[in-house]
Amino acid sequence: MGKQVDLLQGTLDMLILKAVSLGPLHGYGVLLRIQQISGEQLQIQQGSLYPALYRLEHQGLIVSEWGESENKRKAKFYRLTTAGRRQLQSETEKWNNMAALVASILRTTSEEI
Amino acid sequence: MKLFAQLRSWLKWIVKRSHLENGMEAEVSFHIESYAEDLVRSGVPQQEATRRARLQFGGIESHKDAIRASLGLRLWDELWVDLRYGVRMLRKSPRFTVIAVASLALGIGANTAIFTLAKAAMFDTLLVSHPDQLRLLAWTQDDRSVVGSMWGDFYPDGKGHSLVASFSYPVYEQLRRQNHTLGNLFAFKELGGGFDRLTATIDNHVEMVTGELVSGNYFEGFGVGTVLGRPIEPADDIAPGGGPVAVISDAFWARRFGRSSAVIGKAVKLNLVPITIIGVAPKAFTGASHVEVSPDVFLPLSMQPVIAPKGTSSLLNDPDIWWVQVMGRLQSGISENSARASMAVTLDQAVRASMPVPKDGTLPPLTLIPGNRGWLSYTDRQLEQPSSILLALTGLVLLLACANIANLLLARSASRQREMSVRLALGAGKARILRQMLTENLLLSLLGGTAGLVLGYLGRDVIPRLLSSSWGVAPISGRFDYRVFAFTLTISVLSGLLFGVGPSWQATRTIVNAGLKDSAATTTHRRKGFAGKTLVIFQVSLCMLLLVGAGLFVRTLVNLNAADTGFQQKGLLLFAIVPPRQRYPAPKNIEVLHQIEEKIAPLPGVESVTLSVEPLLAQTASNDGFFPDGQPRRPGHEQFALLNSVGRTFFATLRIPLLYGRAFDFRDTPTSPKVAIINQALARKEFAAMNSVGKTFKTEEEERYEIIGVCADAKYADLRTDPPPTFYVLYQQQKDARHGMTFEVRTNGDPGGVVTAIRSAVQSVDIDLPVIDVRTQTDQINASIAPERIFAALTAGFGVLALLLASIGVYGIMACTVGRRLNEIGIRMALGAQASQVLLMILRETAWLAAIGVGTGLGAALLLTQFVRSMLYGLKPTDSPTLAGAALLLFAIAMLAGWGPANKASLIQPMQALRHE
Repeated sequence: MGKQVDLLQGTLDMLILKAVSLGPLHGYGVLLRIQQISGEQLQIQQGSLYPALYRLEHQGLIVSEWGESENKRKAKFYRLTTAGRRQLQSETEKWNNMAALVASILRTTSEEI
Repeated sequence: MKLFAQLRSWLKWIVKRSHLENGMEAEVSFHIESYAEDLVRSGVPQQEATRRARLQFGGIESHKDAIRASLGLRLWDELWVDLRYGVRMLRKSPRFTVIAVASLALGIGANTAIFTLAKAAMFDTLLVSHPDQLRLLAWTQDDRSVVGSMWGDFYPDGKGHSLVASFSYPVYEQLRRQNHTLGNLFAFKELGGGFDRLTATIDNHVEMVTGELVSGNYFEGFGVGTVLGRPIEPADDIAPGGGPVAVISDAFWARRFGRSSAVIGKAVKLNLVPITIIGVAPKAFTGASHVEVSPDVFLPLSMQPVIAPKGTSSLLNDPDIWWVQVMGRLQSGISENSARASMAVTLDQAVRASMPVPKDGTLPPLTLIPGNRGWLSYTDRQLEQPSSILLALTGLVLLLACANIANLLLARSASRQREMSVRLALGAGKARILRQMLTENLLLSLLGGTAGLVLGYLGRDVIPRLLSSSWGVAPISGRFDYRVFAFTLTISVLSGLLFGVGPSWQATRTIVNAGLKDSAATTTHRRKGFAGKTLVIFQVSLCMLLLVGAGLFVRTLVNLNAADTGFQQKGLLLFAIVPPRQRYPAPKNIEVLHQIEEKIAPLPGVESVTLSVEPLLAQTASNDGFFPDGQPRRPGHEQFALLNSVGRTFFATLRIPLLYGRAFDFRDTPTSPKVAIINQALARKEFAAMNSVGKTFKTEEEERYEIIGVCADAKYADLRTDPPPTFYVLYQQQKDARHGMTFEVRTNGDPGGVVTAIRSAVQSVDIDLPVIDVRTQTDQINASIAPERIFAALTAGFGVLALLLASIGVYGIMACTVGRRLNEIGIRMALGAQASQVLLMILRETAWLAAIGVGTGLGAALLLTQFVRSMLYGLKPTDSPTLAGAALLLFAIAMLAGWGPANKASLIQPMQALRHE
């Protein structure tokens, strides 16, 4: 079991978008997939998923529709929109740029100053 | 982009709220069940699995709340909650709600009614297509203008020139032919007011109607059609007298024909000329001269020589008389300046082509004035100042009402301290509480605003109806449109914010633990109640201002009513006879008037009868040149005097004393030498000695008159002006009585029966002659001061309202003060204070409040009343009796209002007060 990490609101959104980009999922599925692709390293408080999902839908980045789950029960499926795909791309870029920048700052040794 | 999507999503969830709630519930259950199933699959027992799943999920309700917040629904939900709570709070204190809503309704209703009036006087435009494109052609006349004779209005612009909007018909035709810059020029001429009204014979019933002569393309130019029948077309406007058709207004249709469709094709007579009615104009159309009132009939200009003849020849081909008004439309792509410049050139050419131009004469310089309010509404600024002042006064009344409500709310918030403390203790933010209080207050103010709107709608015709006389022009009816609605909404919201913000902010400053304790009194903070006291002082000063205003206007009215008119107005009956020129060209009209005079004189109830061209105190006057023989002529209008053409018994009937010489009598006939009587003012102005009997003078037309008498001064056109220099001539010695004359009949006894006898007498002379404008001289004088009467009534009403509101305010604040200081008073009394001492203590505080309020109000009054100086009569704006009277009245009422709480305080039993926790 990985640690329960307190994620900033922005990163949670990004992770959700990423999870949904790989195929339509219901809320529980999103949770599982995030856990899966993080190699079980990340666990989120389950309930805080839904405000994030609704917020992303409110902003038009994902859309939802009711469908049938694997065990024939009614569930709401989310999938990415074009706007969402674009958002994911730009967020990924930003994240990577920021990470590279911070890494390079941390790498400076005392001689380089 | 995101914003748009968010807005759409928000709207969707507002509408499908139940979907959202059910969906959330379903999703959450699905999630928990799925996780529980997974746990079961990994070996956890069912019950334990469900329990763990629920735990892991977290608080369901708080997550649902987070969902609602992320969808932007929180504010919406909170607004509804606040509204429902506000309604409940208002229902719980019905007395407060009723008082608050009532005072707001009165304040906002008064404002709405006055605003409708002010809007009509200043802003409303003609209801035609694209009124802002319309331009009226006008020019300025100076002393050397080539234009001689005019039939129409001109407006002095204060620089020695006059603004004129009339043209001769040949010039208009040329303008229309050569015009390429302004769209389709069309022309009109109003036949209204007192002089140019038409006699309408409909089904053997005769009445006077107003009219407008219009060109064939007039309706087309305005873009207005008819609701019934057809409008006037160019084919009706070709040959003089060749278009005997008329379009009637909607108001006339309703009044005379009961809106029946049989009116189309109906044959009537206008000024004894047979006319067929061909159409009915739309209700919203009011012609080209006024915005609020429509002429009764529209006739083609081609009918002028037949229906409204002036002089012997037709005005349609007369280049000397300037009378017709011309309107055009600005075209897109042509700027106003270039249109004006090119029209000016065209005008110059047209004038030169139509008449010989002397070398030093000035051609009329063209200007374009906006036509969107009609000609007369543009120039008639009479109602502007009174409307603005009334609006300001009603604004003050509304302010007073708001101050009252603010005070009431402050008192209420003192009793809601417990509630506020609990809320704050439970974690409500200050902003949230403010929002809630503001919602409550806006709810109150919108309730008051709605009631005010209804009141304003019901009362919108009250003032116009009071302004109009029963025999005169139809009153303007205020147009109640979206702008009035917007105004009412704005002032409701502003009032709500105004009276709400203070008490709301104070509510958030509650000290939490003191509020939660049962006793609200820790110590008597002297600063507590400061806001309330300031408000009451403000109220008292506003009330002072309104009382001073009321006093000034009421005294003006009293002064006007008591003004000496110079003649005996009681018992004088007035009516007018206008012989149509078709049947009575000069001098036949003078003869028929004389016939009527003789028929009326012997009637029972008639003491004496006379007639005059101008009725007295009717705001009209005639003037002429007065050039005494043997004296050098002075230039310009210096040597003009007012004149009235009157009957033989004029001075006796009106009881104007004759000081020297004699009055007109039977020696003066149409063939005897022309005689005149002058008044003291004219004698003083022109002759050294008052006794100028025997002197002679000439008029502008070079007619010579001999002065046979000097009479006492009498007021002429209005009460405010001192008697002007006037001379009187005998009507039978004149060449014409063009606009008819007004008869003055001195009756002994009830004038009602005399009127019937008069009507039959006139009918026996000519059955087609109507007796019009029947009224008493007192009615006439009252009508001439109608604005002052209304002002006095309104401001007096406002003054009473202000007194009521201010006294409620004083009472309220003193009751509050006493209530808060119950403990302190109890201690004082226990320590030996007498009841009378306590009484005096409270009364002293009241006196202070009242004195400061009256003082500041007095100061404001001294500053502000300067603005109404021109509306007063017989007193200065800083009139001491008025100011002193208002101050004393207000102080007395304030003390009276404070007496109740003071008395209650003095009757307090010390033990009760001390136990009151």
